[in-house]
Amino acid sequence: METSASLRHALLTSREQTLTRIYQRTFPMVRRHVQQHGGTPPDAKDVFQDALVVFYEKATTEGFVLSASVSTYLVGICRNLWRQELSRRQRLPLTGITDAHAQVPGETEPAEERDTLPLLDYVEQLGERCKSILLAFYYFQQPLEQIAAANQYQSVRSATVQKFKCLERLRKSVRTAVALTLAR
Amino acid sequence: MRPALDRLQQIEHHLLGRPSAAAAAQWQVQLLTDPKLAADAQAQRQLYDALRQAGRRQLRQELDRIHERLERQSRRRGWLRAATDGLRRLLPGRPQPDQ
Repeated sequence: METSASLRHALLTSREQTLTRIYQRTFPMVRRHVQQHGGTPPDAKDVFQDALVVFYEKATTEGFVLSASVSTYLVGICRNLWRQELSRRQRLPLTGITDAHAQVPGETEPAEERDTLPLLDYVEQLGERCKSILLAFYYFQQPLEQIAAANQYQSVRSATVQKFKCLERLRKSVRTAVALTLAR
Repeated sequence: MRPALDRLQQIEHHLLGRPSAAAAAQWQVQLLTDPKLAADAQAQRQLYDALRQAGRRQLRQELDRIHERLERQSRRRGWLRAATDGLRRLLPGRPQPDQ
């Protein structure tokens, strides 16, 4: 069984490869479970991807300890998510899973999401380089050494400066937008 | 770094780091002497929220690509199996590998 530290390292240094391996091994089990419990393959995909997002965020946090194999852990999350989704459908029979899966469970409330949606779009408008540096550092939790190497910066220090320049650019575009909204 | 970038870094340490008791106390003092600090910290917190949402969106896109690739692979394997099944029927006398 993979240790939490080696798993974290694999996710940070070769995300696509590691996630593909986990996907390949675990998705068939989740699909079987969801299909045996009244769901479709697209339902299984949504539930599994929600679980993988939660898993990525937890597994890349320093100090996270995995108490079971990755597959067991993920299947556990998926069973819970699918149970919640089934009871949600019983309450609101005419809505699809798309409404629920837009939010990662237990995190943002829909109202909060509406408020921050425009901010999300400013991240998209940042330009590829800034967007990639900021997401690599703040979301994907990659170490600055790795970000510096991937973007051809000579040192961690210059990558740090660049990161804050990008953050400043994001703040400026958000601030301009907020000022415009207030002026309207 | 420019003072503006230093300020972003300082606020980041407060918001994302684990400030020591002394640093936390100093932050309280700064809030009193720097009237814009609280608003700036609040604005920066929103940036981190936006980055988390953008990160989730990107991760979902990456997972979609992985999903599609694996589906294509398994469809191809299914097709290959169907094709070889046909071949095996055409060659009835040929011993199967496991016989």
